[in-house]
Amino acid sequence: MLDRAIIGKLKSIVGEENLLLEKEDLLTYSYDATNIWIHMPDAVVLPRTTSQISSVMKLANEYRIPVTPRGGGTNVSGGSIPIKGGIVLCTTRMNRILSINKATLVAEVEPGVVMQEFNQILAKEGLFYPPDPQSAAGCTVGGTVAENASGPYGLKYGVTKQYLLGLEVVLANGDVAKLGGITIKNRMGYELLTLFAGSEGTLGIITRITVKLLPLPRAQRTMLALFDSTETAGEAVSRIIGKGILPAKIEFVDNWFLRRMEEITHLGLPVEAEALLLIQSDGDIDSADREIQQIIAICRDIGAREARAAADEVEANKLWQGRKSAFSAVYSSAPSVLSEDITVPRDKLPELIRRCNEIGKRHGFPIHMVGHAGDGNLHPAVLTDIRDKENFAKASRVIEEMIEAALELGGVLSGEHGIGLEKQRFMARAMDPVALRIMKGIKKLLDPNGILNPGKYWEDQGI
Amino acid sequence: MTVTSDKKFREIERFRRDHELCMKCGFCISACPVYREELVESAVARGKNQLVRGLLNGELELTGELEERLDKCTLCKTCTQNCPAGVQIPSVIIAARADKVCYRGIRFPYNIVYRSILPRRILFGRLVKAAGLAQKLFFPKAEGTLRHLPLILSGLGKGRRIPQIAPRFLRESVNEVNSPPAGTPVKLRAGYLTGCMTEYVFPDLGLKLIQFLTRNGVEVVVPRKQGCCGAPVYMGAGDFETGRKMADANVAAFKDLDFVIVDCATCGSAMRDYARYLADNEEREKLYTEFGKKVIHITAFLVDILHLPPEAYQAAPDVLGKRVTWHDPCHLNRHMGVQEQPRKILKSISGIEFVEMNEPDRCCGMAGAFSLHFYELSQKIVDRKIASIVASGADIVASGCPGCEIQLMDAINRHKLPVKVMHIMELLK
Repeated sequence: MLDRAIIGKLKSIVGEENLLLEKEDLLTYSYDATNIWIHMPDAVVLPRTTSQISSVMKLANEYRIPVTPRGGGTNVSGGSIPIKGGIVLCTTRMNRILSINKATLVAEVEPGVVMQEFNQILAKEGLFYPPDPQSAAGCTVGGTVAENASGPYGLKYGVTKQYLLGLEVVLANGDVAKLGGITIKNRMGYELLTLFAGSEGTLGIITRITVKLLPLPRAQRTMLALFDSTETAGEAVSRIIGKGILPAKIEFVDNWFLRRMEEITHLGLPVEAEALLLIQSDGDIDSADREIQQIIAICRDIGAREARAAADEVEANKLWQGRKSAFSAVYSSAPSVLSEDITVPRDKLPELIRRCNEIGKRHGFPIHMVGHAGDGNLHPAVLTDIRDKENFAKASRVIEEMIEAALELGGVLSGEHGIGLEKQRFMARAMDPVALRIMKGIKKLLDPNGILNPGKYWEDQGI
Repeated sequence: MTVTSDKKFREIERFRRDHELCMKCGFCISACPVYREELVESAVARGKNQLVRGLLNGELELTGELEERLDKCTLCKTCTQNCPAGVQIPSVIIAARADKVCYRGIRFPYNIVYRSILPRRILFGRLVKAAGLAQKLFFPKAEGTLRHLPLILSGLGKGRRIPQIAPRFLRESVNEVNSPPAGTPVKLRAGYLTGCMTEYVFPDLGLKLIQFLTRNGVEVVVPRKQGCCGAPVYMGAGDFETGRKMADANVAAFKDLDFVIVDCATCGSAMRDYARYLADNEEREKLYTEFGKKVIHITAFLVDILHLPPEAYQAAPDVLGKRVTWHDPCHLNRHMGVQEQPRKILKSISGIEFVEMNEPDRCCGMAGAFSLHFYELSQKIVDRKIASIVASGADIVASGCPGCEIQLMDAINRHKLPVKVMHIMELLK
């Protein structure tokens, strides 16, 4: 609980209308998009300016109050849950697009801009900002930087950090740092900018973001390929990339996901397939069509039961809409869901799928798979119930083995969801000890009192 | 969950599937008109559903703070439209309002209005008449024909400018049965629920609608025993008990008719949804379901039932040469699934130019009592709509819901814009 003097100070910093203290409001900042953790904050501040954030941080630092930064709260690893209470610092009210420069392909935004709205406005200028977490309709640009987010587009266009040019961040002591700049190239000093991409709110509060943009592709084509086994689908992905073809998106969906997505969306998805690859090609009309034809040939060659271009835009939209429902599909299927984010070198994808299948079989625990196959990023999920200790322990073992398999294949714990509360127990195992020591040193330097998003990343909270 | 709490939240229980299917993905965030202004989690469907969850598991109680957050929803259903799982959080909210009413009642003066006045058409009519007189006496005539909303309808007016109460109500001008003119064969017989706004504020709209239908071969029956649709009472305030009385009255009033035409989208969707919310026994379930199927918006009736040819739609002289845009009422678009029919009509009217505005399906922020409880918020929501209307360059914004129209008139008047708000039927000759 915060004492009245602190609350009074917060009120004078952000104003009464930007401070939430009622239980009915605090509850709505106690969760993110996961369903395992929940923790109430003591207060929520919704600052409007960098200087308000600076003042809040000075106060929090002085009184050692935990501060958990939050954007849209759509993250999926527990990162924005105020697990130690204290203050949730939510940036949704800093939502101005400050500039869009068509001549330099650079935009500057405040952290609370909703990703989808940002891209809608950019589209009017013929531009786009490629990082495309599936939660674009709710997540904020600030949140995507803090999570170094990405999505299907990662395959061709890369992830958030590749688009960052400049950041303004408020440190734990209230200092305001300006990192990077507005130029495409910038070779001054250490890459401090990139430190904040994926920092998950543990190093500072992101208050301004300068990103580079791309022109919207002139044409987009969608195709689908159906397979009789998940492993063959995985082979097809490796074969496509191996042939030097780099489509915009290659998404993988297994049969369980297909059925579940169809149950909740009634879109008419091809539920008979064991695995579906959903592929998008960007370019000119000719080049996109040509690329799709090449991929169709590869898929048929490898034994796809069906491979064809989407009939029209309506079918293409339907398929992508179906893909977007994957999150709801899996999370609505059990009281607790552990959805992983393991990522392996692209050519190891078939092997990862094979091993996941094998692990599931061995434990008699079904594993459901969906993922951004094109960049080796798989989201295998296990359904469990945290209240059923035995079942949950078993599910956790399955997860551990899958992670182990990914690491053995030269992969990583998380491709895009981040560590948060979910994966911290694997950090020591997955990371080089020297690299981990450097990270802890950086954390100590920037946040000596450990007030920024405490309980995440480092501490082993366990689950 | 204990047995007592199950009973306590009986209505929410009926929508448990929706309540539980929300996975907090947050896809509803950018879609929500209330969230867009407030930018706090309790504004959006995901947050509201979590509040209901808190209520069910005992973390929260039915406090005034909770009530206010549940009330702060226009029921526009954009969240459902954007939900990958099609979760109907608005239903959970309506149900939660109903369960709240069982324990906390309805705030004054709405309790009197909803429970004692709205269900009694004749009494309501007399009061509205008195209010209209008061409006005439006490409020200076504002720009054009706009006056301040009388006390009885607004709670406290709040400076809102809407058309004055009509001197002669619709039912005083029309017969119960209105036959096509001599020589025009009767193609169909249909009932017409006039709705409170058309009845008391826009009777000319009702006259025009009846005239248009009769000229096109429809015998229009305006049952004398019909009443308020119940939208503000059961959807807005969660008073299901009174809502059932109103539903029963309307079901009985239209029992011999195959169609219940509405010019008001809100009335239409409220009546379509009687079964969904108000059916508390098998008999009502059956009656309400059958009744719901008969309810149809005038635009859908003209296009899907009468199949009128484009020539049937001629522009009224005062709209000739005008540029017209269309505002999709949430209750017409997302609740009743009618999007194309009004556009088809607008495109058929020769002598006007139809243009789409940006985000035509964005909520206007009226939502009945919502706009009275949260007037400033409602103004912010409608101002975005006004910006879209202005950007479209339209002279006239047409719609299919007198509720939306009042909201748009108020805002257009506030901004002193040269744009006219009309019901789509008023465009026709």
